[in-house]
Amino acid sequence: MSAAILAESLTKYYGAVVGVEHLNLSVARGEVYGFLGPNGAGKTTTIRLLLDLVRPTRGRILVNGRDCRTSSRAVREQIGYLPSEMPLYPEMSGAAYLKFLGALQQRVDDGWLRRLLGRFDVSDVDLERRLGDLSHGMRRKFGILQALMGRAPILVLDEPTSGLDPLMIEAFAETVLELKAAGTTIFLSSHVLSEVERLCDRVGIIKRGTLARQTSIAELRAEMPRRVRVAFAGAAPAIPPSLRAGVKQAGTDYWKLEWQGALGPMLDALHGLQVADIEIDPFRLEEYVLDVYSREERAAR
Amino acid sequence: MRMFTALVGRSLARHRALIAGLTVVLSVMQILVVLAARNLQQDRMFAQIAALIPPFVQEALGGSMVLSFGGLVAFGFFHPVVMIALAVGAIYMASEPAGEVEHGLVDLIAARPVPRAWFITRSGLVSALTTTFVVAMMLAANRAATAWLAPAGLPLPGFSRMLRLALNLLVLSWTFGAASLAFAAHARRRLLIVGSLGLAYVFLFLLHFTAGLWAPARAFDRLSPFHYYAGLPIALGMKDPRADVLILLGTSAVLTVCAYIMYARRDL
Repeated sequence: MSAAILAESLTKYYGAVVGVEHLNLSVARGEVYGFLGPNGAGKTTTIRLLLDLVRPTRGRILVNGRDCRTSSRAVREQIGYLPSEMPLYPEMSGAAYLKFLGALQQRVDDGWLRRLLGRFDVSDVDLERRLGDLSHGMRRKFGILQALMGRAPILVLDEPTSGLDPLMIEAFAETVLELKAAGTTIFLSSHVLSEVERLCDRVGIIKRGTLARQTSIAELRAEMPRRVRVAFAGAAPAIPPSLRAGVKQAGTDYWKLEWQGALGPMLDALHGLQVADIEIDPFRLEEYVLDVYSREERAAR
Repeated sequence: MRMFTALVGRSLARHRALIAGLTVVLSVMQILVVLAARNLQQDRMFAQIAALIPPFVQEALGGSMVLSFGGLVAFGFFHPVVMIALAVGAIYMASEPAGEVEHGLVDLIAARPVPRAWFITRSGLVSALTTTFVVAMMLAANRAATAWLAPAGLPLPGFSRMLRLALNLLVLSWTFGAASLAFAAHARRRLLIVGSLGLAYVFLFLLHFTAGLWAPARAFDRLSPFHYYAGLPIALGMKDPRADVLILLGTSAVLTVCAYIMYARRDL
């Protein structure tokens, strides 16, 4: 089965400036894909290429096997899009805004839209207010609603929870998980790494226009060293050979380890020692992403 | 069709203040011009004014015959302020594609399954339809005011002449609208388009005006769209504007085709 989104050597130059360069990525159908990268890395350019808003210098990007450039309209029929900078018609009411964008989308699932309005706590009064008078968070809700209301098979969401309160972030997460369960492919660009970690199956990290890494969250969990602090009841014993490579700091009554892979062998090695306490830091995508960013930074120097 | 109607409806809604303002101001101006003509006629002032105004100013106003009741009644269709107001209205409305890029709205509407060409069609149509509406209202106001205020027994420009005059003025404004559309298909700033074409308008108007007074400038007069709009001769039945209308329409068509081609190729 072909990928929902497939970029092949995708390159876009804005004059001398690199937007993206030789970008290869694939997003499977029904997958939630986190697209990460620092500001200016090329995330928005990739999304705009996907929507045929800008044209590639070289390479191509396919959606469900169709070229975004040559089958532009057919591709856009399959996509619900939330831009990062929420463009508005400030003089319009929320209801008129959704009606207008619904007319351009051709299909709107009214029952689903009603559910979304309830879930995102948008009242009839809110719907009648001018968009120009709404708060940033409220405008963002309308942005999410317009992207989701067509129940498109592919959603492209750029910084979706920016400006939302924690309750609405939770509502958004629930919605993403529900859509994922229904088979929707979601391409999610975000700086909120906890959100990406929770929602995404895989992540791609883009840096300076090229894909620095593409992997699954499960692989990352297995691959990333975990920070472990082992405290002893009394003086710390001699370090067993199986733990030597992992121990980064040995105190009088504690060890600090960085442990990669399954924790079972480490716990086996500690068996029989006078262990008073073990602290294992949870996996944090943030650390991994920052590591990739800084590695790339060092390589660039 | 629903998509296109929604696009046109939104564009009309966004420009409604401009359309209403242009319609009211230019229609009221027709009534005021007819009122002024009546007062001048009743006070027998036309000959005195003609003696006071230098010939080149009369020429700029459309010729010496503008200083007659019939000429002044039609003057509301070739008064420089009327012409520039209508052209700026056409230019502004046709520049909408650039405004959508400038304000990021294109990310919202062009990301939906709307054919790109429709944004050009929409803006061209809105610009053309609204200027047609404004000119139709001007014509209606002019005819109503003339019927109501004209002193009895005076020769007046017939309806068909006024219609030809209005049509020529309309097509002149379409030419500027089409130029704006072509510019907007490439540009990212709406103000740049309105400012540049506003300056171009003044330059081309002065070129035409200079050509009427200074022989060496006549070689370039054909480059000015104003060369193809002879207001007073049309109003007085001395010129058939068909050839001029066709030239202006042809220019507008070429500019519109350029707009389609450039917009289809550009990054939004």
